[in-house]
Amino acid sequence: MSHLLEVKNLDVKFDTDEGRITAVENISLSVDQGEVLGIVGESGSGKSVTAKSIMQLNPGNTSYNEDAQIILDNENVLKFTSKQDLKKIRGGKVSMIFQEPMASFAPAIKIGAQMVEQLLIHKNINKDEAKSISINMLKRVGIADAEKRFNQYAFELSGGMRQRAMIAMALSTMPKLLLADEPTTALDVTIQAQVINLIKDIIKEYQMGVIFITHDLGVIAQVADHVAVMYLGSVVEKGPVNEILKNPKHPYTKGLLQALPDINNLDEPLKPIPGNIPSPLDRPTGCVFRTRCPHHNPEGKDGKIEMKLIEVEPGHWVDQCGIQCGQNG
Amino acid sequence: MGDNLISVNDVSVNFDYQENFISKKQKIHAVNNINIKIKKGSFFGLVGESGSGKTTLGRAILGANKISSGNVIFHDDERDYDLTSMNKQDLKEYRKKAQLIFQDPYAALSPRMTVRDIIAEPLEVMKITNSRQETDERVRDIAAKCRLNIEHLRRFPHAFSGGQRQRISIARALVSNPKFIVADESVAALDVSIQADILNLLKQLQTELNLTYLFISHDLSVVAHVCDIVAVMYLGHIVEMGPARELFKNPKHSYTKALLSSIPSIDPEKRSEAIELKGEIPSALNPPPGCVFRTRCPNPGIDCKGGEIKMGLTEVEPGHWVDQCCAL
Repeated sequence: MSHLLEVKNLDVKFDTDEGRITAVENISLSVDQGEVLGIVGESGSGKSVTAKSIMQLNPGNTSYNEDAQIILDNENVLKFTSKQDLKKIRGGKVSMIFQEPMASFAPAIKIGAQMVEQLLIHKNINKDEAKSISINMLKRVGIADAEKRFNQYAFELSGGMRQRAMIAMALSTMPKLLLADEPTTALDVTIQAQVINLIKDIIKEYQMGVIFITHDLGVIAQVADHVAVMYLGSVVEKGPVNEILKNPKHPYTKGLLQALPDINNLDEPLKPIPGNIPSPLDRPTGCVFRTRCPHHNPEGKDGKIEMKLIEVEPGHWVDQCGIQCGQNG
Repeated sequence: MGDNLISVNDVSVNFDYQENFISKKQKIHAVNNINIKIKKGSFFGLVGESGSGKTTLGRAILGANKISSGNVIFHDDERDYDLTSMNKQDLKEYRKKAQLIFQDPYAALSPRMTVRDIIAEPLEVMKITNSRQETDERVRDIAAKCRLNIEHLRRFPHAFSGGQRQRISIARALVSNPKFIVADESVAALDVSIQADILNLLKQLQTELNLTYLFISHDLSVVAHVCDIVAVMYLGHIVEMGPARELFKNPKHSYTKALLSSIPSIDPEKRSEAIELKGEIPSALNPPPGCVFRTRCPNPGIDCKGGEIKMGLTEVEPGHWVDQCCAL
């Protein structure tokens, strides 16, 4: 069966003044229709860079490897260079919701005008049709007085409302794939709960594929079907959400789960993951997690074990060094 | 009053607001009639959504916001300081004893100063030390306590990660040897793995240096883990207050219950048990009369819908206070 989106062996490198930085290394992922893939990891783990590669939104100093493939609807989007082709993925087949809704709306243009503009670019319709689609979409995401909000500016809306408007805008072109980059991080918990429920309803209704990026494992547990855990540009563990959260194998996944304050278990002391995430300028050779790994696997610590995902249970993939560490302790 | 460090008595903070120069002057009721006592050596948590007035209250206690009515008393060993009637000399003394740790470690540190200069600045400004040597000693001492290396002191903030920067901010707050620390969303900008590290550090420093914290956060699971006493704020009012464990195991106010249920559970099988609150926090320009939460309350009574029940805490169990509207 072919997937809606398949990322194969993707490397992303940035050329900077200080040298070439490896932001993402050898990533393979897939998303099916109607499925939510959650990507978790700390800041600097390459989550957003991966998502932006799908829309080719990375800056000009980016280079991809030759054999990398990002296949969306049987087309390799990495080979797209013409404006016409890029338009198909930027807002056409793929839409993105960003973390900071205030920063993603143009401050001096009315929300409605921005929604209509993108519809006119991607759909073969006139202004009035675009307006009615936009207002319906605003209503669909639970914005009261949609007609009034349509004529307002982003600063006139509250945080939760702005994020809803952002979602409405991303969905109005009916994309096949939705990239949600930390869409609830800037929101309060009560509003976050509203937005999560909204996104879940919409996925069901429109049967689109979603990549949901977050650093919050609780949010992942609530929305995702599959999870990929990223660390320093590599996927260290991936699989069905139940498997990953209940039966984690990689020491990094375990560490993340233990560092999370659990309100139902207040007696458990918080266990931080020791050390800091290394700079991508001096990425460790071999297992990328070895500088912070609590286990003492001599070969892993020396960087002699290459990064490679191995299937430990059907659909549950773990980095090979992580499997050994996990067994040692 | 022997074991309290801070008493907040009936404090309100209002801000003047005028939409443009011809429109009427209005008042924003940011904080209303707050009464709290912070015990010496306690980890006092203040939770609530954005716009609930937690930061304003924290700043009012530090004397960084004007208090419109009521007073704040800081009980020092020898004498009490009343923040509302303090002269400049006293305020300077108070600033040495009460310090603030900010939310964003990227914005809080000057990019043009070395870490040593950043940490030493309070000492120099407050003229606490007399010689450069003494300053250096104090800086090195506190840096070591905050787990910073000596060689870090010569570098600039850009060379550090978020967690390290937050440790620098903590060192700067602690260098004047304060007794009281307001930590305003101090772990909100950090990754979970680093957040746990900073929380453990704050706990450890508390016992080492005899500190009292006011810990402001929107993250209930963090507050549940580190705090002894928790107050839940909504639209400028405290709606529930009590010992952390008691409050989280046995929440009484509908708002606290909704907040707790909104925390996304880590268990994928327990999905969407959240008590969904409709709408958003109302504007503090014209808060609803009576119970401020009634516009969003999932199970409002008849009286509170009419706004006839005034805000006010009642003690339902020893030390556990709930707003009377929900206690009924």
